[in-house]
Amino acid sequence: MRLKARQKPNAVVPTASMADIVFLLIIFFVLTFNVDVDKAQVVLPKTGLRFEVPKKSAVISVTEAGQIRVSSGEETSTTVSGYEDVLAFAAEQVARDAEKAFILKADARVPYQTIDRILDSLKQARASTIYLLSDQETVEGAG
Amino acid sequence: MKLPKRTVSDEVPTSSMADITFLLIIFFMVTNTFAATRGLDFAVPKEDKSTQTIEKQESVLLAVHPGGRFEADGRAIELDKILDYLRPKLERDPLKPVIIRPDPDASYGDMVRVFDVLRQGKDKGVEVRNISIPTQREIEQFWY
Repeated sequence: MRLKARQKPNAVVPTASMADIVFLLIIFFVLTFNVDVDKAQVVLPKTGLRFEVPKKSAVISVTEAGQIRVSSGEETSTTVSGYEDVLAFAAEQVARDAEKAFILKADARVPYQTIDRILDSLKQARASTIYLLSDQETVEGAG
Repeated sequence: MKLPKRTVSDEVPTSSMADITFLLIIFFMVTNTFAATRGLDFAVPKEDKSTQTIEKQESVLLAVHPGGRFEADGRAIELDKILDYLRPKLERDPLKPVIIRPDPDASYGDMVRVFDVLRQGKDKGVEVRNISIPTQREIEQFWY
């Protein structure tokens, strides 16, 4: 009896769907793309309630060491030397756009007196809304 | 003489597509930051010198001390008891001002925790409509 010739498995890796998968990944990254204007490393306070901050809001960051950086939301943040500079920065932003929102990205361990001076500068500059940037609070024991 | 006919491939070359898209993915992965873009909003009241001054007795004063200690109207209180303390007061007067006054040496994180508790009150049946966080300059200017 003559045996059937053994079927040789195809040695080609099917890559036709590869482009589809990577395009899906690209679409995901394009949609979630967000260039951080401020690279300051801070431990944000944790809150249960959080709201989306408006895009292109001005950012004021305060590190644990007390270094203050500001950004209009369109360019990378720069270090400022004192609270007078924060006031001047905020006044300039409000003069350009009276409804400009400000994001306060401050380390949770910073003494409140630093934040008080910054909030005061923003109030004096007549800022309308300030967002206190925070991380999501996790349920005790879960995280 | 008969020349050999040159045949043109009718297939679109797609072999480099995967390389290009992978490069794009790498670019987006490296430059993308899942930045924290959420936080607590804090509407700043407009400075108006003609505004009627609120008597200290009419408001609830929440003090934040260093080390995460809290006080409500001068008495020590746990963070999760603040809403229970405010409930009867706000039932009588829903617009009662609640003033957060952190100690200069208290941590910013503790002040945000108190603010968060007050903001979450709405979901727990204790809506705090009038939250105020005066700065030291405002306290010196308007309280004394």
